[in-house]
Amino acid sequence: MANNLAVENAGLKPAESRLAKALAGFKLRDTGFHLLTLAAAWAVLILLGGVIASLIVGSMPAIRAFGLNFLVTEAWNPVTEKFGAMAPVYGTIVTSLVAMAIAVPSALGIAIFLTELCPYSLRRPIGIAIELLAGIPSIIYGIWGLFVFAPFLQEHVQPGLISAFAGVPVLSKLFAGPPYGIGVLTAGVILAVMVLPIVTSISRDVFETVPTVLKESAYAVGCTTWEVLRSVVIPYTRVGLIGGVMLGLGRALGETMAVTFVIGNAHRIAPSLLAPGTTISATIANEFTEAVGDLYTSALITLGLILFVITFIILAISRYMLMRLQSQEGR
Amino acid sequence: MTGMNDVPNLSPGPEVGPPTTAPAPEVETPAMAPASEVKAPATAPAKLILNLEQKVSVRNLKFYYGPSLALKNISLPLYANKVTAFIGPSGCGKSTLLRVLNRMYDLYPNQKAEGEVLLDGVNILRPEEDLNLLRARVGMVFQKPTPFPMSIHDNIAFGIKLYEKLPKSELDDRVEAALKRAALWGEVKDKLNASGLSLSGGQQQRLCIARTVALRPEVILLDEPCSALDPISTAKIEETIDELKENYTIAIVTHNMQQAARVSEHTAFMYLGELIEFGVTAQIFTSPEKKQTQNYITGRFG
Repeated sequence: MANNLAVENAGLKPAESRLAKALAGFKLRDTGFHLLTLAAAWAVLILLGGVIASLIVGSMPAIRAFGLNFLVTEAWNPVTEKFGAMAPVYGTIVTSLVAMAIAVPSALGIAIFLTELCPYSLRRPIGIAIELLAGIPSIIYGIWGLFVFAPFLQEHVQPGLISAFAGVPVLSKLFAGPPYGIGVLTAGVILAVMVLPIVTSISRDVFETVPTVLKESAYAVGCTTWEVLRSVVIPYTRVGLIGGVMLGLGRALGETMAVTFVIGNAHRIAPSLLAPGTTISATIANEFTEAVGDLYTSALITLGLILFVITFIILAISRYMLMRLQSQEGR
Repeated sequence: MTGMNDVPNLSPGPEVGPPTTAPAPEVETPAMAPASEVKAPATAPAKLILNLEQKVSVRNLKFYYGPSLALKNISLPLYANKVTAFIGPSGCGKSTLLRVLNRMYDLYPNQKAEGEVLLDGVNILRPEEDLNLLRARVGMVFQKPTPFPMSIHDNIAFGIKLYEKLPKSELDDRVEAALKRAALWGEVKDKLNASGLSLSGGQQQRLCIARTVALRPEVILLDEPCSALDPISTAKIEETIDELKENYTIAIVTHNMQQAARVSEHTAFMYLGELIEFGVTAQIFTSPEKKQTQNYITGRFG
């Protein structure tokens, strides 16, 4: 009361100064907020730089010892300290390709079904089931893959594949040899299951961004649902779709635990998808604790650096593709 | 279900002069009372033209969004090679009616129509009606321009290619003809390979009209085609509509009453899901029979 009175008596001046004070306060808070967000942004860059720098420093001994030959050497012999990255790099790329070949078509199919065809009452249950699939920890996929899925493949699927493609020129090489159960194909299939929910939920989200009226106008020229999807929905969303696929690919490239369980961890390149192999992350996870000697450790760190570079290249390619698509839009 | 089938026509020629009496609301016929859903359309076209061919006849149409009734027993004709305008306040069911005419509502599980919509005498609400073919016969242009994510040329060729296998030169001719019809050819003929999205709003809308025309439909439905456009684009589209009616039957929903008066021969005024009045445009705008119509066109409510 007394304060109020005093202010009123003093006329405008105190009010003005109070306003000025409040404004100064806002400004301070604004600046503070700005600095905070700036710091967060820089922290990311510094972290990234730190990771790159430590990877490079850590891999220097191996690079000095093997040079670029490291990339094209298949041997991995801790006893004689001969190391090469070719087998894990090959395994990483092939398992990821197998995973994407299986996951992308199924994910697109599921997303299309969910957004365009599915009865409304089923949309939520199926959507939630897919998100739950994404929430399963990878170690569980690994255990399941090793104890349930790999024996199943070994008994029921792989013999069939081998005999089915026996006479076919290229495929007979891809599906050759004894059915081990574990191997590159099994790892790829497990990866596909893990990548599927990511690609599905992103595709579903981008499909839902297509304006209803755009779809209706496609129906209005007499399109069937398939024609609407192929000619309007997918072209309209392809930027988002490629983004989703690349995110999935990123996960497939880096996935460690589940792959380590089912790939067989053999440092060699076999033409057959049924043969055991290894990936970069599986090698690192398997051998880090046993890595004695600087060169061994350094070789593993170099593998990490290579994985980093591969992921970077994939990202760059996807960016480039998106840019080309956008600039070519319409033809 | 009384007296719905054919429109009893009285006076010839669209230039029927306004009746000498002033709007005279409920007096003329007892059937005028808004509650009489069934009879209203039967009396409304009283001032219509003799011997006009009905391209589309809507009969006792009821439309439901889930449980709610959005169209209450609508009956009206669309005359061949004429423009029919639908006016009325938002939510009155004009657009819903339009979406029944090409069964666009069929995309959504909760919407259903009862009654009959005859296109050349055949009920298109039959379950066995082929929807893709129907939509090729009854084209639609939407409120917002919706070019497909492809080139200008492909935007138009796309629909044609769905139904006809044409050699490239013939296809190009069809595209050119359609663009000319929509008064867009001059502006885009040098950049047919540019994206349809690169055009301005008015051009995009004319592209959509061209796309619809290219299919050579029989009926064209325009759902507020100019609501997002500036006056110049609007004028161009109205010109286009004027030319199109030589070959097509056109229905246009509009909130712009001057536009309805300019482009249409017949006007239907709808309110809260009912057809209040249907008649020759000149008469609806000068001497409507219903008080509600009068109030709406003079801006007293709505």
